[in-house]
Amino acid sequence: MAQLPRLRDLFRAWVGIGLQSFGGGATTLYLMRRVTVEEQHWLNDEEFALYWGIVQIAPGINLLGQTVLIGWRVAGVLGAIVALIGLLLPSIAITILITAAYATIRTQPLVVAALHGIIPATVGVGVILAIQMLNPPLVASSREGWGQLGVSVAVLVGAPLLLVLLNLPAIMVLWGAGICCAVGFWLLNRRGGAQ
Amino acid sequence: MNPWLLFWLLLKASLFSTSGTGNLPILHTDLIAQGWATDHNFAEALAIGQISPGPTGLWVISLAYLVDGVRGSLLALVAIAIPPFTALGVHAVYTRYGSHPAVQGFVRGLTLAVASMFFVVLTQIMYQSGIDIRSVAIVLGALGLTYTRKIPVPVILVGAAIVGMCLY
Repeated sequence: MAQLPRLRDLFRAWVGIGLQSFGGGATTLYLMRRVTVEEQHWLNDEEFALYWGIVQIAPGINLLGQTVLIGWRVAGVLGAIVALIGLLLPSIAITILITAAYATIRTQPLVVAALHGIIPATVGVGVILAIQMLNPPLVASSREGWGQLGVSVAVLVGAPLLLVLLNLPAIMVLWGAGICCAVGFWLLNRRGGAQ
Repeated sequence: MNPWLLFWLLLKASLFSTSGTGNLPILHTDLIAQGWATDHNFAEALAIGQISPGPTGLWVISLAYLVDGVRGSLLALVAIAIPPFTALGVHAVYTRYGSHPAVQGFVRGLTLAVASMFFVVLTQIMYQSGIDIRSVAIVLGALGLTYTRKIPVPVILVGAAIVGMCLY
């Protein structure tokens, strides 16, 4: 029965994170660390960083994986479910409300004009997002050696070409890229280790 | 529209990708092939995802709403809530093999491919919405402002909306 207050705390904390995290992923992660590590002491900084590494590989939205792992750390599988519901409930409700409100006014001339401004801006923001994603793996590869950098650049250039020119399914290209890099890095590492 | 198929496409995209926007290239191919969503819908959903609270990955909820109303967004909610639980399994494996070069390589390959395929999707969105001097100027302006990190993204989007109202 000692579980119940724990679950209630967990739920309350994650609802708070879900409600306050306006401004995208970085804000959410920042709030998550502040609440779970600094305020509640559910886990330490090292564990938080380890979990963040794990959710980079796990399927699905990284921040939700992080939520599941922290909830699980505090109160098992039930804790994971409670934490996830807590985080999603307010943010999903607000997202649906914003979309619904938008859907009713999307044909108004003023809204159409506003969209002509928003869509290119989303593209501009997206370019920065893509560059921010590209930066850490490219920097790490160039540090490790020419071979690793070569494999990375080949995937970087090859993936969109395969998608557009050969019309391959996106999943196939994504996993193909992952497998190419896995094999490439493994072979390069073995050769490097043998020297 | 077949709700089961929509659910499966949403779940598949989330299961076979990582990060909040990793599912973008997969969903973009699948939903456009079905004729259920347009490039325009993707741009709208991405913008709403930036404005609303929580992970940026919730843009899918907005996209599913535009495609299939409240039912769609609830299907999307279930579809994005299931895959994160695989993190528990990955946790068990990762503590043993996480430092293996093949694992590191796989993650890196996935990230590089998602990011580079992003440029394809963005180009298509841009092409569909119409390319002229005004729209290119807005892209560059938003890009520059985001790069400086001084202004929050939702504020940039609101600014762009005002610019759009004045220019178009």
